[in-house]
Parts: sequence; C-alpha cells; structure tokens
Amino acid sequence: MGIVSEVSVATAPTRRAHQGRTRSIGVIMGLIGLFTLLAFGVGSGMSAQSSLTFNPVNLSGTIPWHVGTLTLSTAWTNIVLALAMIALAVEVNLRLPARGVMVRFGVVAVLFFFSLLLWAARTGGPAPINFVNLTAVLVGSSALAMVLIYGSLSGVMCERAGVVNIAIEGQFIGGAFVGSMIASTTHNFIFAAVVGALVGGLLGLILAFLSLRYLSDQIIVGVVLVTMLGSLSSYLNLQVFTPFPQYNTGNLAPDLPIPLLAKIPLLGPVFFNQTGFFYLMIVLVALVSFGLFRTRWGLRVRAVGEHPKAATTVGIRVIGVRYVNVIVGGAIAGVGGVAFMASQGQFQPGYTSGLGYIALAALIFGRWRPSGAVVASVLFGLSVYLADNLQTYQIPVPTEVLGMFPYVITIAVVSGLIGRVRPPAADGIPYQRD
Amino acid sequence: MSDAAVSVSWWARLRSRPALVTVFALLLGFVVGALVIVTTTASVLDAWRGFFHSWSAPGHALKLTVDNVGAAYRTMFEGAILSPSNFWHALTTGHGWPLALTPLSETLTYATPLAIASIGVGIAFQTGIFNIGANGQAILGGIAGAAVGSMIHLPMVLHLPLTLLAGLLGGVVGGMVPGLLKAYTGAHEVIVTLMFNYVVAAFLILTLLSTALQMPGQQNDISRTIDGSAQLPPLFGASSGLRVNWGLFVAAAVAVFAWWFLERSSLGFDFRVTGANPQAARASGINAKAVIVLVFAISGGLAGLAGVTQMAGTTHFVDGGFLIGNAGIGFTAITVSLLGRNRPGGIVLASLLFAALGVGGRAMQAATGIPLDLATVIQSAVVLFVATPVLVKEIFRLRTAPTAAVQLATKGWGS
Amino acid sequence: MRLELRGITKRFGSFTANHRIDLTVEPGQIHCLLGENGAGKSTLMNVLFGLLQPDEGEILIDGEAVHFTNSGEAVRRGIGMVHQHFMLVPVFTVAENVVLGFEPVKSFGRLDRNRAREEIRHVSQTYNLEVDPDAVIEELPVGIQQRVEILKALNHNAELLILDEPTAVLTPQEIDALMEIMRSLAASGKSILFITHKLKEVKAIADVITVIRQGEVVGTAQPTDSEGDLAALMVGRSVNLTVEKEDVTPGEVALEITDLVVRDDRGLPAVDGLSLSVRAGEIVALAGVQGNGQTELVEAIAGMRPVESGSIRLRGRDVTNATPREVLDAGLGHVPEDRQLHGLVLSMSVADNLVLNTPRRAPFARRGSRNLGAVAQNAGELVQRFDIRTTSIQSPVASLSGGNQQKVIVARELSRPLSFLVASQPTRGLDVGSIEYVHRQIVDERNGGLGVLIVSSELDEVLALGDRIAVMHKGKITGVVDPSTSRETIGLMMTGAHAEES
Repeated sequence: MGIVSEVSVATAPTRRAHQGRTRSIGVIMGLIGLFTLLAFGVGSGMSAQSSLTFNPVNLSGTIPWHVGTLTLSTAWTNIVLALAMIALAVEVNLRLPARGVMVRFGVVAVLFFFSLLLWAARTGGPAPINFVNLTAVLVGSSALAMVLIYGSLSGVMCERAGVVNIAIEGQFIGGAFVGSMIASTTHNFIFAAVVGALVGGLLGLILAFLSLRYLSDQIIVGVVLVTMLGSLSSYLNLQVFTPFPQYNTGNLAPDLPIPLLAKIPLLGPVFFNQTGFFYLMIVLVALVSFGLFRTRWGLRVRAVGEHPKAATTVGIRVIGVRYVNVIVGGAIAGVGGVAFMASQGQFQPGYTSGLGYIALAALIFGRWRPSGAVVASVLFGLSVYLADNLQTYQIPVPTEVLGMFPYVITIAVVSGLIGRVRPPAADGIPYQRD
Repeated sequence: MSDAAVSVSWWARLRSRPALVTVFALLLGFVVGALVIVTTTASVLDAWRGFFHSWSAPGHALKLTVDNVGAAYRTMFEGAILSPSNFWHALTTGHGWPLALTPLSETLTYATPLAIASIGVGIAFQTGIFNIGANGQAILGGIAGAAVGSMIHLPMVLHLPLTLLAGLLGGVVGGMVPGLLKAYTGAHEVIVTLMFNYVVAAFLILTLLSTALQMPGQQNDISRTIDGSAQLPPLFGASSGLRVNWGLFVAAAVAVFAWWFLERSSLGFDFRVTGANPQAARASGINAKAVIVLVFAISGGLAGLAGVTQMAGTTHFVDGGFLIGNAGIGFTAITVSLLGRNRPGGIVLASLLFAALGVGGRAMQAATGIPLDLATVIQSAVVLFVATPVLVKEIFRLRTAPTAAVQLATKGWGS
Repeated sequence: MRLELRGITKRFGSFTANHRIDLTVEPGQIHCLLGENGAGKSTLMNVLFGLLQPDEGEILIDGEAVHFTNSGEAVRRGIGMVHQHFMLVPVFTVAENVVLGFEPVKSFGRLDRNRAREEIRHVSQTYNLEVDPDAVIEELPVGIQQRVEILKALNHNAELLILDEPTAVLTPQEIDALMEIMRSLAASGKSILFITHKLKEVKAIADVITVIRQGEVVGTAQPTDSEGDLAALMVGRSVNLTVEKEDVTPGEVALEITDLVVRDDRGLPAVDGLSLSVRAGEIVALAGVQGNGQTELVEAIAGMRPVESGSIRLRGRDVTNATPREVLDAGLGHVPEDRQLHGLVLSMSVADNLVLNTPRRAPFARRGSRNLGAVAQNAGELVQRFDIRTTSIQSPVASLSGGNQQKVIVARELSRPLSFLVASQPTRGLDVGSIEYVHRQIVDERNGGLGVLIVSSELDEVLALGDRIAVMHKGKITGVVDPSTSRETIGLMMTGAHAEES
C-alpha cells in the first residue's frame, strides 16, 4: 500500500545526489577526452606515426604466430581514441547509469594512458625510439598490478569484517624480507610464499590483537606497524643481508608458461606466461570474490563488518570472525610481499615505496569489492609502470605527474568528486560486547 | 605497621599516575630493542646456542648479552646526551667544549622541527582529527621557504621572518586541501592526507627540477641554497661547529603558543569540545566546518613551519630526500604526539626523547656497527605500547583510570 | 514453551542492574514486563538472550536449566528477540537478514538463496506477515523492518518471543497491527515477553504483568488493575506530579511557528506543516508518541536541522534556518532530548560544561582568551544555586549522576538571559527529587515571564506542567487543549483524532 510511495520518497534525495556525482564524473571523462583530442591527437602533428610492437619479451622458444609491427598515424589513432572517450562521457552524462560508471571511467583512463604512449613514441617526437612494445608495457604493469591486487585483497578481507588494515605496506615489507631469505636458502618459492604468509599473518595477528583485544586505534597501530617493519627490515638488511649476500640473491621467480595459451599474441604473455604468484593471485581473487558474496561465510563476514551487534544476536562470534579475517588478510598481503620480491629478484629496504598505500587506494577506488579492487589495481599498476618507465621516451612532461594519478584519483573518489564510495558501516569501529 | 601502610599508599598513588604508563611503555620499548640486538648479533646467538655446553657457558652468554646491549645503549646515550670523558676533559682543561656539547646540540637540532610538527598533529588529535599529512605539509613548507629564501634578497630582519612565514603558509595550503575536502564533502581525512603525502612528494620533485628553484648547474632534484639572510643562525655562532640554531626559539614559541591556545583560548576550547563530542559542539553553536578547516590550517601551518625550520636552520636547501629520513617527519610526529599525550609539554619531552634516540642511533652505529634503524624500531615499539595502555597496565599491574586520549581518532572510514 | 527465571542477579561493577529476579512465562501467554526507563528490563532480557551472563540465578526452559554463553544458543533453544534498535543489516535483503546465522547452504558452503526465500514465504504465510524477501532493509519503512525482526525470530523456530519496547518507534496503526500479530502468535501457542513502560499497551494486551523497579521485581499485577495502581507499582510512589503553579497572565507571542516542514534523516517529512505559538509567561507542553516529529521539531528550532519550508520566529525575530549560534544568541535556552549526546561534553569539567555554549561571553573570555577565574566563579555559584552534587567543579561531568548531569544543563541554560526555553524530555531517567526540582525551576522561569515549550512523551509530565497542551501526531498539531482535558481525550488525539472529534 503506502510502502512503495514512502520508499521512493526516502531514496529520492540520495538518488539526486548520486546523479549529480555521476554527472561530474561524466564531465571529467569528457575533459580528459577533449585534452586527449587536442594534445595527443591534433597536437602530435598530422604526419607523425607511432609503431606498436608485440614482441613477447618474456617468452622463449618458437612462436607459431608472429605479429609484426603495426604502424599507425598518431594523430588519427588518438583522435579516434579521444572520440571514443568523449562518446563514453556523453553516454554517462545522458543516461546517468546507476552502475558501472567507475568501470567506464577506468576504460577512459586506460585509453588515455595508451594515447599518451602513442604520442610519446611518435616520429618527430623527442624520443629516440619510435615504437611501443605493447606486450612489454602490459607485462610490466601486470607485475605491479599483481602486487596491488594482493594488497587490496588483503584490505577487502580485513575491512569487510570491520577492521581497517593500513599496515598492508608493512606486510609487504615483512613478506618480501623473509621471502627473499627463504627463497635464497631453499630455492623454493612455495616455501617462501608459505613463510611470507606466516609473517604477514603474524602482523595481522598483532593488528587484530591490539585493536580487538585492547581496542587500540586501528589506524595508529597500522601506521606504527608500517614504520616498525620499515626500520626493522632495514636494520636486518644491514645485519644479515649485507654480511651474507648469499641470503638475498637470485630470487627471480621463473615464468610458468601454460602450454599453447602462452603463445597467443599479446594475451598469452600477459595472462598465461606468468609466475606462480600471478596464477595464485587469480585463484585468490576468485576465492575471495566467491566466498564473500556467494557463501555463508561471506554473509557472516559482511554482517560483522556492517552491523556487528546484529551478528552477535544470531550467535556469530564477531571478534572471532575479525581475528580470522585480519590474520588471513595479513597472510595474503605477506604473499604479495613475496611476490613483489620475486619479481625484483631480491630484497631492498624501502623498495616497496608506498605500494601498500596504493593498494589501499585501489581497495577504496574499487569500493571494497574484490572485482573493483582488481580493476583499480590494473589501472593503478599501469599508471605506476608508466611513471617509472616513461622517461625513456624523453617526453617534456615530468613523469611525476603520472605518479600522482592513483593518489589524486583516490582523493577525488573519497571526496565524492568522482562516484560515491560507501565503506562497510562498522569499518574501523572497535567492537565491545556491552 | 604504619610504615607499611604508608608505603602501600605511596605505591598505590604512584601506580595510578597516567604518566607511569608512558614510563613503562618506554621501558618495554628498550626491552624490545635489546631483544632485537640479541637475536641478530651472531656472537651473542652463538653463546646462547652453547648455553648447556659447559658450566661457564650460561655465564658467558649472559655476559655477552649484557655487554652487547650495554654497549649499544651506552654509545646511544653518549652520542645523544653527553660523553662523560669528553665532558670531563672539557671541564678540566677548558678546551673541547664544542666536542662535548655536540651530542646535545645534535639532539636539540633534530628535536626542533619534530616538536613543531608534532604539536600540530597533537592539536589536530585534540580536535578529533587525524592528520597523517604532516609530511606533505612540511615538505610544502620547506619548498615555499626555499623559494622565498633563495629567490628574493632582503636584509635579514625581513628575509628570515618572511621565509618562515612562507613556510608556514605553504603548510597552511597543504592543510587546507584535506580540511576543505573533509568539511565540505565529508571525505575521510586519513585517506585524503595519506594520499596527499604522495601527491606532495611527486610535486616536490617537480618543483625541484624546475629552473626557477633548481640549483644552477645541477641535473638532480636539489634546490638553490637559500641566502644567509634567510637562514636561522647557529646559536653559538658558525665557528662553534654546533648545529643547534635559532629554530629552537621558534619551537619554544610554538610550544608556549600551543599551550595557551589549547588551555586558555576560546578557539582552542571550541577545538577541544569538538574533539570530545562533535554533536554537543554543534548544539552549543560551534561551526563544525569552520573548526575542521581551521584545525587543518593550524595543524598544516605548524607542519609547514617545521619544514621551513628544518630547511632554514639545518639543510639550507631542499632536495628529493627532504624530511623523509627513516619514516618521514609526519609519521614520526604522529608517534611523538601520542607519546606526549597530545599535549604541548608532553610533546616537547617526547620529541627530545625521539630526537635523542635518532641521534644516539647514529653514534651507536658508528661505534658498535649496530644499524641506527634500531632507534626507529624502539620508537615504534614504544608507541605501540603507548597506544595500548591496557596492555602495559596488565603487564605491570598498574591501576590508572582508563585513558581515552589515544583512542580519540577511532572512527570508521564512513564518518 | 515454559520459561522460568530464578533469582537472576546481574551486576556491573558496584551497580546491581538485576537483583534476584523471579519470573515465569507459561506457554501461549503474553507476559508483560513493566518498568521505567533504567529499571533493568533490558539487562534482564540480554541475560535471558545470552548476550550477558548472570552473576547468580538460573534460567529454566520447560523445567530444564540452561546456560547461554551467546545468543546463538538462546536462539537454538527457541528464544527469539525483537530488539528495540533493530538488529538488521541495512544493506542486506530481507532474506539475508532473516537467515543470518542459520543459513541454508548448498555444497562448498554456498548460500541457498532459493531455499532462504522459500523459508521466508513459508513463515510469512503461516503467520500472515507479508514481506518481500528480496527487498533491501534500508529501503523499508520502520514498521516493516520490525516485521522482518519478528519473522527472523519465527524463522528460527522461536517458541518464546521477547519484544523489547517494540512500540516506541511505531505509528498507532502500526501498533495496532503489532498487537494483532502478538495475539495471533499467542493463540498459536507461542509465549511472549512484552517489555514496555506504557501502561495502556499493557492493559490492552497482557495476560500477566510483572513490574520491576530499580532492578527488583516489586510485584505482579493483572491487566484489570487500574492504571493508577500499575503506575504506583512501577514508579514506587503515589503518582503525584502536580506542580504548584501560580496564575500568570501570558504576554505577547514569544515563539511563533508557521507551516513548518522539516525532514528526518531518511528524507521523509517528519514535521509536516506544523503551526504553533507560545506566549511569554506560559508553558506549552507538547504531547505525543515518540517518533511523531517532536525530535525534528526541536532540532529545527535549535538550528540543528534544516527547515524545508515555513518559518520560526523567536520574539518577532526570524530564526528560520538560523545556525545554532544565531539561535543561541537570540536567547533560546535548549535542554536537549539526549543530554549526553547533545548537551554535555562528558570528559570535560563541570565548570567548562556550565559555560559550554557561552564560552566567549563576558566575563568568561576576553579578546579570544578565556578567563578561567570567571568560569570557576560561575561554576561555584551555579553548583550552589542549583544544588549540583559534585566533588569538585573541576571533576569531569561524566562522574556525576544522571540527575546531576541534567541539573548542569538546566543550570547552564537558565543562568543566561533567555528569550525562550525549549526543554525536550527534561526529566527522562531522573529520580523523583530531581524531577521535582527541574519542574520547579521551569515553572519559576515561566512565572518570571519566560515562554516555555516542553516536549515530553510522559503524559503525567505534560499534564502537570502545561498551561496549554499541544498534541502532535505525524508531524502536525492535532489540537491544543486545556490541561483539564481528560487523559483519554488527549490519548485519542495522540493517535491523530482532532480535538473536536474526540
């Protein structure tokens, strides 16, 4: 009876606000498109050309298909890309879709990066090389994205249960350190991953213990754990790795090509010729995603993160669930640290340089969902990779601007300038049984 | 009988002092540090491994442990406060005072910007605001100060104050970004300030590479050196070799101002009411948005002042590693503020302690080879214990009233 | 199910919330637990539901002693609870909420959503409680949310249903519907423990009544007993809330509210075209069931909630959508409904709380610098004048009893020059002495020519204090009547009937 009308009244203002935010994303997307059109399209000169190559940098042996170099007109390609971006922006502005806006934004951002690459490598540009090895770009950024996904999955596990895990960076560092030690001595990455998980889990346990048992501020404990792991690893590096370098060397994880699939051009090297850590990451994403939204376990975890008291009244042990999730989350981030180490070949103090915080940003940009975290991690991984590697093209724009991307985007998202994020209602709030 | 009663009440009174938690947290921090030394020094480990091998082995192991830990902490003390032999030498001969005073001078030099930034963080904490962005704000202060200090040329009476003011304003700008976003969009300040630090770090490199600020003839990210007229002069003159400088007075002034502000000013009262109960603050007519923006302006401004004090007093230029150190001044400031219970007096003491640990760590590394990162490990351990007063109380069976100070900021992301 | 509580005692530190409570609920019985706010009802129910462990005593179900260490065990033994603040996850669907903790699963621990829906349909039909299993809780009206809470308990095969103050948030129609549901559940053999402090509801539905006061059972009663007897048992004194009031001729209009519309947190119009005027030297008491817009009305007057349309004038001055500061400066005294949330800063001293909304006024501050001497002097005087019991003016206000905390607020508000006073639930949770004291102060102010608006859900208080009584229902004033009007008439008006009709 009156229910329907009352409901529509209740949600009308929120919907209005939501549409306003959607519109502002649309405008931003349009501006990016317009910028691409003018700077990278028209701005690169009509005669310029860019080449794309697909050489599978990380694949040996015979390759059945050889994809040659693709030479494109820089201006026209970028104009087409820009128009696609603008079309997406217009669609968002006109239809104001309720879902998938941030995915569309992600697409625009990826197109923008691609367009930037083409522009940087154009003939007549400052760069001595006039081609982009797309396979190398994707493989390089996938390694970073993988680490970010481990970190943001860890965040999903903790924050969905209501505990803020700001210590992801510390868990990365811990995992990377012991990972290198174990891998160097045993030459076995499975051992390394297991011990990395143990160390990450131990750090999770400390966070859980202090914040659940003693109700300490989760953010403070997280920040201090990062500081502590940073200095402890640097200390141990000097005490152990410097005098005994054999404990910290030669730990590049081998690629495990999947027969046949690995040889698919472009996709093969990116998805099917990766390290075991990459495949494990895929499995974890699927598991967490499935577990959180399809299973009894997930329903209970989300209840604990949204309304712990309600969970208590139906006999769910809130503190127990939080302990388990924070420890498992820590373990995942620990493995992420090992994975990062294994992509670099060794441990170096300070070399995670804020990746844990970017993972936190990916978690927020991905709205506390595994799938969203993956999308955000891919996007942020790409931007970090480009920031690190773009100077080879000697473009006049400093790459630091690109390095700001994940952070600026996250600030925009939490400010509601782009989209709307809603964390689990009880996230970060200590729980006490009366 | 009556003696016992007196001593019991004396002990009861002592163990109900909140400051005692801090003291015991410090003690635990040094115990953790000792454990780290013991478990990572090969000779000590070997001795413990042979614990049951002979009658003398246990004594040997213990002696080695005490020797190693003792040497580490002794050199730390001598490097940070004073070395008795150097001091005695100076006292008896009248020569070598600079050498004897260098440790203290260094500790004060390090404590100066740390205290200023930490007081900013503490004021924010007292208002219920978690400012993790002091790092970025301090860097902005340093950049602004370096720009004013190197690009314009004035007599010192004008130039130095102007440089400091520029740094302060740089920090204010850095604080206003998260402040305005929180006040007008409800964005959680922890996320914004955390991310903002990295944006500023990138911005720093950008500005340092710009021709306006870059040191001439350099390709690296390093700024011009500021004019002598913009520098905070050494307290005992340049010839003394002691780096402690007039920034000390800036820090002292900030501490006095902060005490007055929090305890005596009307605006500070508004801040504290907002921190303790935002709803009541609103009902009693306090403009929550204004408070958020103002507290970020003040907190950020002090961080900026910390940055420019460091720049104008110690480095005289800004480079890519400015204020990053072990953990970054902003993160250390959070821990210092917590240790000092967010009060100016406590923060001054805490920053002296943390500076001493850092400076002493260097001396320890030089003398014993134990890496100075140990100092940061001890610092973080101390703060973990301070942030968990209940744990410390349980370990030492203290009986103090529940302390809410450190739990001020525990709110969800959503709020 | 037959439930028996024997000698249940629960202490929190030195405070005894429940003392040797005995209680028996027979199958098919509606058993009312009647008591004032703070009498220990909720603690007892939390013990029964396994959320708290009793210090002494035992719980027997069908003669067998049981011990619950968490509420899951209580649920498994057939106890269901409908909490005052719903225990529903707002972002979950009805089905997810109902099965939470007892989920039907397929292989690999997968949720069986279809079976969940089926279960809900089944229970819905059995007890005639219609609800869409796929609706999201936060989009449902409060009455339906409560229905989901009941469904949740029934779905877990509850044989005994505890309803904790279930009517506080409901409209009269929803209350009627709830009563109907309770009756039919009892008829089907379920036992019901109904917790309330509302006499009318008790009389309407109870089979047996147990009255508790200050944590102890003070007696049992029959629904046929008069309301006066029940009230006397409940409050432990003969109810005599009459305040001696001298006749005062009201002056000019002090508060003028015209066609006011204010939205609640969910965006619904909570105050819906309300008009009301209060003159100087009179007390208008606003009666009504909680949740009919009183809270939003007071917040709008105090500047804490935006006004959608209409106007509020204080002594002729327009304060519509003014900030709290502007309203305070216009001379509004405000005793807020939730004193610990809006009225006090618990960690701060009594002295600071006494100047909480006038910290910049002379002599408490000058040129941005506080004069702590003046603040202390002010506190010393007020503590004496208002008889605030505190060890020191520097003690945190958290260390004071509820009554003394309320005195701090009253003292603060009445000690500054006022143009009007709004007091919301001014005596909630206070002991008799404090109630009389607060009432006396309010009447004195009115005698001094101040206009006063009292908002109270206690009819006794409304009748005792009001020179005129305005009754509020669904965001509107259904009528303004004389305090000599019968309780029945006012009660009817609270359900929406207009003065003329009743």
